[in-house]
Amino acid sequence: MFKTIIAKEIRNNILSFRFIVSFVLLFVIVTVTAVVLTGDFTRRQQEYSQRQTEIENYLRNYAHFNRIGNVLQATQPPIPFQTLVRGLTADVNIQQFDDDPLPVMFPLVDLTFIVTILVSLVALILSYDTVSGEKEDGTLKLMLANGLSRAKVLLAKFAGGALTILAPFVVSLGAGMLIILVHPGVSWTGADWGALGLIVVGAALYISVFYLIGILISSAHRASSSSIMTSLFVWVLLVLIVPNLSPYVASFLSPTPSRIKVARETDRLGDTDRDALGRKLQAQYVGEVVKQYPVLEERLTDEEVKRRIAEDPEYRKAYEARRAATERAWNEANRIQGEKIRALEDDLRQREAAQTGLARAISMISPLADFSYLATDLSSTGMRNTVHFSRLAELWGRVFYQDYRPKKIAEMRAKDPTGDFWNTAVDMTDAPRFRYTEEGLGGRVKAVLPPFAVLLGYGVLLFAAAYVAFIRYDVR
Amino acid sequence: MDKPTTWMIARKEILSNLLSYKFFVVLLLIVLLTGTSLFIMRRDFRLRTADYQVIRPKPGEPIALVAPSPLAIFAKGVDDAITRSFEVGIIGTDVKAGQSSGNVIYSFFPAPDFLYVVRVVLSLVALLFGFDQVSREREQGTLKLVLGSSVSRAKVIAGKWLGNYLSLAVPFLLASLLGSAFLMLDPEIHFSSGQLGRLGLILALSLLYLGFFLSLGILVSALTRRAATSVVTLLFIWAVLVFVIPSLGTLIARQFMSVPSVRALGEKRQQTWTREVLLSIRDGNWTEHFRKINAENDQMEQDYRLKFERLVRLSRNINRISPAASFLDAASEIAGTGIGEETRLKQEVVRYKDSIIDRIIEDQGSGRRDAQYPAFTYRPRRLAEIFAGGALFDTAWLVFFNILSFALAYVAFVRYDVR
Repeated sequence: MFKTIIAKEIRNNILSFRFIVSFVLLFVIVTVTAVVLTGDFTRRQQEYSQRQTEIENYLRNYAHFNRIGNVLQATQPPIPFQTLVRGLTADVNIQQFDDDPLPVMFPLVDLTFIVTILVSLVALILSYDTVSGEKEDGTLKLMLANGLSRAKVLLAKFAGGALTILAPFVVSLGAGMLIILVHPGVSWTGADWGALGLIVVGAALYISVFYLIGILISSAHRASSSSIMTSLFVWVLLVLIVPNLSPYVASFLSPTPSRIKVARETDRLGDTDRDALGRKLQAQYVGEVVKQYPVLEERLTDEEVKRRIAEDPEYRKAYEARRAATERAWNEANRIQGEKIRALEDDLRQREAAQTGLARAISMISPLADFSYLATDLSSTGMRNTVHFSRLAELWGRVFYQDYRPKKIAEMRAKDPTGDFWNTAVDMTDAPRFRYTEEGLGGRVKAVLPPFAVLLGYGVLLFAAAYVAFIRYDVR
Repeated sequence: MDKPTTWMIARKEILSNLLSYKFFVVLLLIVLLTGTSLFIMRRDFRLRTADYQVIRPKPGEPIALVAPSPLAIFAKGVDDAITRSFEVGIIGTDVKAGQSSGNVIYSFFPAPDFLYVVRVVLSLVALLFGFDQVSREREQGTLKLVLGSSVSRAKVIAGKWLGNYLSLAVPFLLASLLGSAFLMLDPEIHFSSGQLGRLGLILALSLLYLGFFLSLGILVSALTRRAATSVVTLLFIWAVLVFVIPSLGTLIARQFMSVPSVRALGEKRQQTWTREVLLSIRDGNWTEHFRKINAENDQMEQDYRLKFERLVRLSRNINRISPAASFLDAASEIAGTGIGEETRLKQEVVRYKDSIIDRIIEDQGSGRRDAQYPAFTYRPRRLAEIFAGGALFDTAWLVFFNILSFALAYVAFVRYDVR
């Protein structure tokens, strides 16, 4: 009997107008998106390799250690998963003069968008009248008269409904994947398949949550016409409002100092303030040295100084002491100001991290945000990847600055001991390059456990609530 | 019995709406969302204004910075990009962005401003007012009775439109006007009369936009036999118009317009200036090389701007299939927070930089650190310019959509089988 109800639910749905429309719409949008995003991906790939060539040219002709850090930087290459999930990879680049604000106005369409907005809407459309609709048709009475427990009826309705949404989604996604995979520029790896599988599992959970919301609301209403209103109301709040409000709410609860202000302050600390402090310390330290070596008080021209250093060992000692005092003063000034700058920057970073964490936590009330984090982190296009990327960049930076640079400078010094190693062009095409590799699947999976857990928790809670509402439902 | 007039039908619609559950939900949504949105964006605006007070350039500093506009409370648009601090230096313009760049969650979800509420949520609400106008009355059998009293179908549909439009527009206007009044009471937020006029225009555009969705709802309702079918159809049309077309449109435009990515430009800039500095150290011809940095960057920037403007134009034209995109473009440009405004501002910043760069190079060359430079002044585009730049077309386009959908709804209703 249980199976009969599932089969009945599925048959009911499949033959309905709303199912057919949903299927067609999903199929069209998923395939069009796949085509467009694949095109976009190959375009980005081409541009990326062009950019690399330009950097190679630069390394051959103009590379010099003083400013190499501005040119040779760790950059994220396009990854195949961007044909499905775009996450944070849109180049808005607001921190630079050259920016591209189009994605701010019109967010990109991708798999995350399709699941979070379209599929959840489909789930509500198919579920808003599961209980109230059957009551209106009078079939609910008949079904329950069969001596079947209400728990089983509810479970069967849920299973049948969730399957009928998942099936078209998976079919459409399959078609989309086919488009992506036949493209010669895209190489899909085993880890990618694993991540995609988990994203589909996440999508199934997400769909279930909205299907259950539909059932719950349907069991709380007598008429389908009002249950669709409530369903849409809840959907609007969960999907369209809560996530969007979250960063703003977090910024009030946990404010951060202005980035521009901090930047100006650190500039000042490291520039004019440092100079003032350096001069002050220099005067102080040198004054002490002069007291110790009164010879230094004599006013001499540069030539006389040179001559006396050569002739008078006592004077040379004094001179060396003064030079050391000057150096000590400036080192001290650099250290003190550097600490102040670091304290400011650390404070900013900590507060920003706190605000981001809070915003993320608040947004996770919404299943949409949960699924977004899940999909972007699994596909290496989200926040997790930003952290992973900066870790890789740091490792590479260490190899470059601690191994390669001293080695290269030693080579240059061997050739010409008096040269300016910082501002002389040298062929750096043999420098270690930054190689981006995606984080292993294990780490990504660990990162998405919280959103998974929240979605699962929602599912269980909603099922329990739907069950309670359903057993109390008056079938007449 | 008297022949029912359009107004009588409208009144009946309003009365039956007032008592319905739907109206209750809708009212809740309108009040809750406009209220929350204005409140949240107001605090955001105040935070940004406080920041601006701290970071505004001192006299003589070569920094281009515009104050956040209070209209950004209603239409955030790309205001974050507009209110960046452009600090002119010897090798170009150094840009610092505000706080939102420190919290990545902002880039996950669009800003919940007034435009978002209208464009996304209230359009859905307008559809909900329209979706059952014809099909439900047929199901209930009241349609026959209404038409049986020999009133013309034109009057019936006009009355229905008017009644439902008022049921939606009046609470919406009340909530928005109350919200705006609440903003005006805030001593830290000053609207100039010009800005109030623009706010009025945005409200008018919103009313136009909502009118279209109501007509669309009635149209689909008159094309379907059952209200359940009509609601499903409308939800999908809504999702496609509001979300899918504008997002896909820009991506499709990118396939046809090859625009260099902003990262490529950033890398190019770094290569140019480090190369020229190196060469200047080698041959000592300082000023020459720094002028070259500036000239090359300007050339690249201009190239990019022309391409980017073409991309924006194409994607706008594709997006115009959807009135939601037209509405967003027109309203944010009128608010002075649109992409057009940002492009213009950057152009002005480049002009400002070019007017002082020679002096900066000279001063740096002679080691002057306390040099004073003229201040940057920016006048936002005037309304006439904004309208000529596309907002007029978008407005006309919205009017056209309104007329078209209403006319089609009328035709469909005339041919509707009331049995």
